[in-house]
Amino acid sequence: MITKVKKQLEDISNEVVSYEMILSDGTISSVPKDEANTDYQAIQQWVADGNTIEEAD
Amino acid sequence: MSTVSVNTIDKNSGSTLTIGSAGTTVNIAGTAGTGFPADTDTVRPNAMPLVINGSMAVAQRATSATGLTSSGYNTVDRFKTNISGLGTWTETQESLTSGNAYTDGFSNALKIDCTTADASPAASDRLYWTYRFEGQDLQLLKKGTANAEKVTVSFWIKATKTGTNILELYDNDNSRDVSAAYTISTTNTWEHKVVSFPADTTGVLDDNNGSSLFIIWALGAGSNYTSGTLNTSWSNNVNANRYVGQVNHGDSTSNNVHITGVQMEVGEYTSSTIPPFQHESYGDNLMRCSRYFQLMARGLVGRGQTSTTCSVGGTFPNGQMRATPTITLNASGLASSIQTPGVDAYDISSLASSGGNSLGIFVKFNTDGSPAISTGAIMVTNGNDNPLLLMSAEL
Repeated sequence: MITKVKKQLEDISNEVVSYEMILSDGTISSVPKDEANTDYQAIQQWVADGNTIEEAD
Repeated sequence: MSTVSVNTIDKNSGSTLTIGSAGTTVNIAGTAGTGFPADTDTVRPNAMPLVINGSMAVAQRATSATGLTSSGYNTVDRFKTNISGLGTWTETQESLTSGNAYTDGFSNALKIDCTTADASPAASDRLYWTYRFEGQDLQLLKKGTANAEKVTVSFWIKATKTGTNILELYDNDNSRDVSAAYTISTTNTWEHKVVSFPADTTGVLDDNNGSSLFIIWALGAGSNYTSGTLNTSWSNNVNANRYVGQVNHGDSTSNNVHITGVQMEVGEYTSSTIPPFQHESYGDNLMRCSRYFQLMARGLVGRGQTSTTCSVGGTFPNGQMRATPTITLNASGLASSIQTPGVDAYDISSLASSGGNSLGIFVKFNTDGSPAISTGAIMVTNGNDNPLLLMSAEL
């Protein structure tokens, strides 16, 4: 279960390239911005359920 | 001993051919019997097993995972344990040394062990295993057309709890499903199940790399999934009709469930006619699993950017993946995993970002800053012999 998501930026363009995703078991992953990635799909559903992605540091 | 060579020996009448006075019976044109196996291999439309890692031999992530209360791929590749509010579980890749599944040629199984029971699941609770297919791999089913094929799933299963269980095919592209009940008859005994499903002339599977069809082994469910009438014909999804009659394997901490030898065949088969399991070498099995999950130990190169960051990139070690993978650091592989050749080695502390495509990745690492990173060339060297990155493009 996703507990927190934060944007990760590309250095030069400063655009979002991936998301830090933290699960309820403590696992921290980097999820690419790829519509075919099922973790990215889960983040989109997480947002649709009313959750908010944090800005990058 | 003499040899007689003929093209055809036909029966005179009836359904069996008798050879010799002892009355040995052989199969004729794939019908049930004893003696020679039915000649069904030649009619398979697929060159390789449709189900990848059905033997449960490959477990790249781990061989054991404890305290599971949510869904995920935990041990054996390609098989997902889905937990939604129904108990706490330990999952293992089990080594088999006895029993009917072992006798049939399987040395590994997927096992879940209930460690916190839930004898009264809430209405929305569910526990199940899934195997997920890409739509482009199942176009041979001709689903959604007038020529749609029947499908048969077979597997070995062993459970502490006996009774009715539900196997389901779920069409994720069109939200359609069909369920079938089977019975686990004897406690803690391997039983071989062969379950056939009707053809579906509605709902074409997408011809792409998305998640199209699921095989679902229900293991427990609340009333939201059990209060209707079991859906034994393909239809649009109605949750109440999916797992009617399913026993709850999570109702006692004494309960275990084990599965192996999973195969899916195009066509309708019985326990007498199901083609033999297509065993693959470990290497072939691993390469097919690698489309969905890979470990990265070394091979990425790049450069230091600041005293605490560096970026590296490269292609995947075991070939193209299904999609751009999710990257997770392997905690035991962080120490001295990157180095400036001839200068120093660095410990990785976290992932700053990642990207790429199905052919390769780039990753930006943060380090602990001690020592400071040189701004020269950086390479992933796997200094402590443990994989550094877990890369998942699972369905």
